[in-house]
Amino acid sequence: MSEAIALPLTDDALGPPERLHPLYLLTGLGKSVKGAWGLLAGAAVLGAQGRWALVIGLALAITMASIIGLLIKWLKLEYRVGRDEIRIDSGFLSRTSRAIPFDRVTDVDLEQGPIHRLFGLARVRLETGASAGSKEEDGVLDTISLERAETLREHIRARRRGEKAAPIAQASAEAPPLFAMDNQRVATAGLFNFSLAVIAGLFGVSQTFGDVLGFDPFERSFWIGILDRAGPLQALVMAHQIVAVLAGSVVLILLGIGTGLVRTALREYGFRLDRTETGLRRRRGLLTLTDVTIPAKRVQAAILANGPIRGLFGWWTLKLQSLAMDGKKGDHVIAPLAHEPEAVAILDSFGWPVAPAADAWRRVSRAYIASYAAAIGPPGMFALAVSFLGAAGLSVIAAVPVLGIVAVFWTLAVPALVAIRWMSWRHTRYALEGDTLFVETGWWRHRRRILPLRKIQSVDLAENFWSRAFGICTLRLGVAGGGGFADHHVPALSHQEAQSLRARLLSV
Amino acid sequence: MTVDVIPADLQRVEPSYRNALRMQAAVFWIPVFLAALVADRLLLADTPVGSLLPVLVGLIGLSGITVAPDRIYRRLGYALDGRLLRTVRGWLFHTDTVVPFVRVQHIDVTRGPVDKMFGTASLVVHTAGTHNSVVVLPGLSPERAAEIRDAIRVEIADAE
Repeated sequence: MSEAIALPLTDDALGPPERLHPLYLLTGLGKSVKGAWGLLAGAAVLGAQGRWALVIGLALAITMASIIGLLIKWLKLEYRVGRDEIRIDSGFLSRTSRAIPFDRVTDVDLEQGPIHRLFGLARVRLETGASAGSKEEDGVLDTISLERAETLREHIRARRRGEKAAPIAQASAEAPPLFAMDNQRVATAGLFNFSLAVIAGLFGVSQTFGDVLGFDPFERSFWIGILDRAGPLQALVMAHQIVAVLAGSVVLILLGIGTGLVRTALREYGFRLDRTETGLRRRRGLLTLTDVTIPAKRVQAAILANGPIRGLFGWWTLKLQSLAMDGKKGDHVIAPLAHEPEAVAILDSFGWPVAPAADAWRRVSRAYIASYAAAIGPPGMFALAVSFLGAAGLSVIAAVPVLGIVAVFWTLAVPALVAIRWMSWRHTRYALEGDTLFVETGWWRHRRRILPLRKIQSVDLAENFWSRAFGICTLRLGVAGGGGFADHHVPALSHQEAQSLRARLLSV
Repeated sequence: MTVDVIPADLQRVEPSYRNALRMQAAVFWIPVFLAALVADRLLLADTPVGSLLPVLVGLIGLSGITVAPDRIYRRLGYALDGRLLRTVRGWLFHTDTVVPFVRVQHIDVTRGPVDKMFGTASLVVHTAGTHNSVVVLPGLSPERAAEIRDAIRVEIADAE
């Protein structure tokens, strides 16, 4: 197989060829069936039409095709572990031989789904940082035995450490965790995780398809059916549509909270964060266990996130922006729900501060609110004026009745929007202390970003024709890694302030 | 810790860059104008707004070719000292970027067909940042672009 590539490399530098565990045929099945979602949708349509024979045939065909595909993949994938690198040869029609030097491997992540756990297997991902921006994963060994995965990881670590002996890792595995979450904490995190999106989605579904599915908690008939035996309640629902609407809202909110609880529990159960000699190690999961290491050197920024409700209870979510992505979800969450002292302990373990001295914080310009109000206010005034003119009898304009409605909505919305803007101004501030920049922004989505100056790649001062009129500009920082949308910036600084801040940022 | 850490003596780029900008604007606006003309004749000729569209597009396009390149050119500048590269650009949306040499990952000097016609080149500096990871300085003479590239390259080599 591998002769086809014929790379000039002596075999004695590499170990013997190894294959994935044969149960890959089982563990890979879920993913490859999911990949055939077009066919699945077809099957669902046929099922709805009651042509079950076809559905069963289709299902068998999908399964067979998946198994054959997996079998070919399994036969054609070989990996060899050498002293300094791992080679993964894969592919049937187009073969790839990938060499990953251990010097470049930053994370060795293990993941165990339910089937993996049942048979003592694991999915190994070697992270090199090359895939920071792209979706493709670096080196994945989909299913190998857990034992082999552990020895591989230890092998790579030992290689990176040089000649230092393994017992250090053993000792640190026994040490108490840096941060852990008990079941109560996981449940609390789940409560904060209730998703408005789920509630809105369910509301939409129940209103659109409620009649077909027989599930519309906003209709009286739904409750009358359920409350068949509870006489007085049924009478109440019969009498008042508003009761049905209230009950429906309660059901949806409960569903939203329940979804958050379940999702959080699945992900965060048994959360445990350890300090290893080179970085942090995170283990979590209820059904699917993941085991991720984050090298401290690769961390570019720390982000503390909360919202008004979590803020009220003093809870924070702590994330690290690293060169490698956390799966496909961007920043690594290293504490889903923690009080500030816990966050201090975690960041302190690799020498990062959490907050500057209280008097070091500086607010941004009030033009942050003024420029916003000036942008959204006048159109509303205009619409209002026009509709008043219409009321005064100018028949040409009165022919546009929509404007009146727009004007009313606008005059109601503008003060609310400006108030929200004011709240987020109150929560926006920055501080430069030592060689760390702290930036806090936002009210509803409050974030505190902790940025070491030596990780800043470039500094922009940006302004446009609007902000120029208010004499403010935005200081935007180029920092490596992280998701596509979350950039780091300080909004609404006066020119003088922005320039002196930039000079100080770059003077390191 | 003073403000003059950032180089403040901005230099202009090549004057012929104005013509390159005009050329680019013309290449963009002339087909748009023709399309507007055709659409107007085919669809809007009999409506009360007939011939309004090509006039509007023509005016915007003309100002894009005549006025905008001058403004863009006047607001485009760069400065560098031994440590930092600063580029300032933009008319309606103004950006002032500073990149320390030690943060530069790699450097391109690119020339498109328009650049070749007017004797200009762009310097493209890549950093490791996810945002603003590409800093473009257009309108340099090819020699100057190569000179800056070499200066930055020497700095990077020294840092390591």
